[in-house]
Amino acid sequence: MKLYSLSVLYKGATKANLLKAAYDLSSFSFFQRSSVQEFMTFTSALIVERTSQGSRASVKEQEYLCHVYVRNDNLSAVVIADTEYPQRVCFTLLDKVLEEFSRQVDSIDWPSGNPETINYKALDIHLSKYQNPREADAMTKVQAELDETKIILHNTMESLLERGEKLDDLVAKSEHLGNQSKAFYKTARKQNSCCEIM
Amino acid sequence: MAETEEEVDVLVQRVVKDITNAFKRNPNIDEIGVIPCPEARYNRSPIVLVENKLGVESWCVKFLLPYVHNKLLLYRQRKHWLDREALVDITCTLLLLNPDFTTAWNVRKELLQCGVLNPEKDLYLGKLALTKFPKSPETWIHRRWVLQQIMQQFSSVSRNRKKQHQAEGEQADPERIQQIRDQLARTLHQEMKVCSDASCRYPSNYNAWSHRIWVLQHMAKGNVKVFHDELSSMRLWVSMHVSDHSGFHYRQFLIKELINELSQTPAPGSPQHRSSSVHSGSHSYSCSQSNGELPVAEAAAAEDADRQLSFTTVLQVFHQEMELCSDLIQSFPGHEALWCHRRHVFYLWHHWRREHQQNLNGSSNSATETVLVNSSDPGSPPSGGGVGEGPSADRPGHAAEAMDEDRALLPEPRDSKRLKRGVLMPGTPTLSTEHNFVSSVLDGCCNLEQRRFAQAYRKWLDTVIGQQL
Repeated sequence: MKLYSLSVLYKGATKANLLKAAYDLSSFSFFQRSSVQEFMTFTSALIVERTSQGSRASVKEQEYLCHVYVRNDNLSAVVIADTEYPQRVCFTLLDKVLEEFSRQVDSIDWPSGNPETINYKALDIHLSKYQNPREADAMTKVQAELDETKIILHNTMESLLERGEKLDDLVAKSEHLGNQSKAFYKTARKQNSCCEIM
Repeated sequence: MAETEEEVDVLVQRVVKDITNAFKRNPNIDEIGVIPCPEARYNRSPIVLVENKLGVESWCVKFLLPYVHNKLLLYRQRKHWLDREALVDITCTLLLLNPDFTTAWNVRKELLQCGVLNPEKDLYLGKLALTKFPKSPETWIHRRWVLQQIMQQFSSVSRNRKKQHQAEGEQADPERIQQIRDQLARTLHQEMKVCSDASCRYPSNYNAWSHRIWVLQHMAKGNVKVFHDELSSMRLWVSMHVSDHSGFHYRQFLIKELINELSQTPAPGSPQHRSSSVHSGSHSYSCSQSNGELPVAEAAAAEDADRQLSFTTVLQVFHQEMELCSDLIQSFPGHEALWCHRRHVFYLWHHWRREHQQNLNGSSNSATETVLVNSSDPGSPPSGGGVGEGPSADRPGHAAEAMDEDRALLPEPRDSKRLKRGVLMPGTPTLSTEHNFVSSVLDGCCNLEQRRFAQAYRKWLDTVIGQQL
């Protein structure tokens, strides 16, 4: 079980704004890491944009699960994990991170902030601590209070998209993805897998 | 890209050379990869070396691969001559891009046999190829061939040494033997590392795990310590990969081998045992050690003690495995691999207990025996609902009583130590503890999958184990 990325975003009127992110891409091959990272950022933003206020969702994409929590005040967090990682622990982590973040960062900065301007350092620590869910304190049964039935489950990214919208188009249009990442997406798409090229 | 044949020729030769040079410049390259890059950037080599990682830009692969492939095939068909150095370079490039090309590995086998390549170099090439293609069957197969070469080399060295020494009327040179052992231990360790890396890169990587099993069977046969170490180092791995059945299958293999080895006795500490511990081909150099001079009676007593120790260890292995399994099932609900593992471990335990109960009854009184006899009695026909009620409740008292009897019977100092082990040994699994476990899972869980697995396990206990009692 593995956590790949943890990010805090602000859900604006049309776009999601990345405030801070942490990544653990050690399990990807070295030359793919930068593209994988861009994709995780892209995906996290897309999911926040497509998730309604005050809701939790899990989106399955190939062998990954992206868990998202958008609060009523539009502050949002996304964690990307593998399918083995316990969902409950992910949502505990998201709750905890958002609560801490909103305490440390003034809400005036949320709509316009970016990773350089936001001063919140704990994401990397959380990400590495939660790699082993049993060492994190989240395995306690108290978490049962989180009502799992209220978490929306999407079986593909496509189900987040509107009618007529295509993931390929969104990727092609995105300004956050570099040319190398777009090429990477195309090859991966052909192979129907995110970590195999050729 | 309208490149002429000549241009391709020049390009490819340059790239092959670049790869060779990269390895010369940096002997510590530890990963290879392809960099997605559809267009060539002129005047720049497509070979990139960053932080010990060797990357090939993707645009050149479609020129490179067919070219080196054809060249090698032409050589094989004796239509085109290549000198040894060119062969080494070409097979290296080819295998890094396509490690399942058997002919290339075969060419390298020949080069190795005539001494152009050394085995370590080929193990290294294979290791790199596996960073990009962690399953590649041909790479694993070639690895086993190379390892066999290494083992043959070592055993012939030690045989020659011994002959030479016998001729001079001396014992085999212990220092040299130690050296060989250290080298083999290093190779063994390196193989384990390669296997772990490959199994992290690709989930349920059957080829990596079966290679790992092969390595232990051929290079560590009967070495209880290696098996113990593997078992404990795999603990964290399986805890972090709870749905990967391959990891658990490997643990089952380790447990089976350990149990066999320990049940056979002579136990871990005895000389015969040590002799077989490096690898099967190495018996030759340690027989000198086994000429023990212990008096017969004392030797027999020691053997008996060893046997007791082995049995205690077996119990411990089973106990710890079941604990681990319960813990993981409860922490990570809904993974079938965990339930399959539990089934397998309990099955192994069930059979071991049946096999060794008689042996133990025949031999001297011991704590181990008490635990065994005791633990088998609540195994009476399973109750319909599966909720293990009665028998388990009065077990602890019962066990303590039996221990007391034992203590009275055996006042020897050695036995008190043994008994302590016995007392420390918590209850071993029985049919009723398993039923209790299933009930507790079903009581406290609303995960549908988990319930399904728990019920299937209960059914299995009733139909398979229950029938055998």
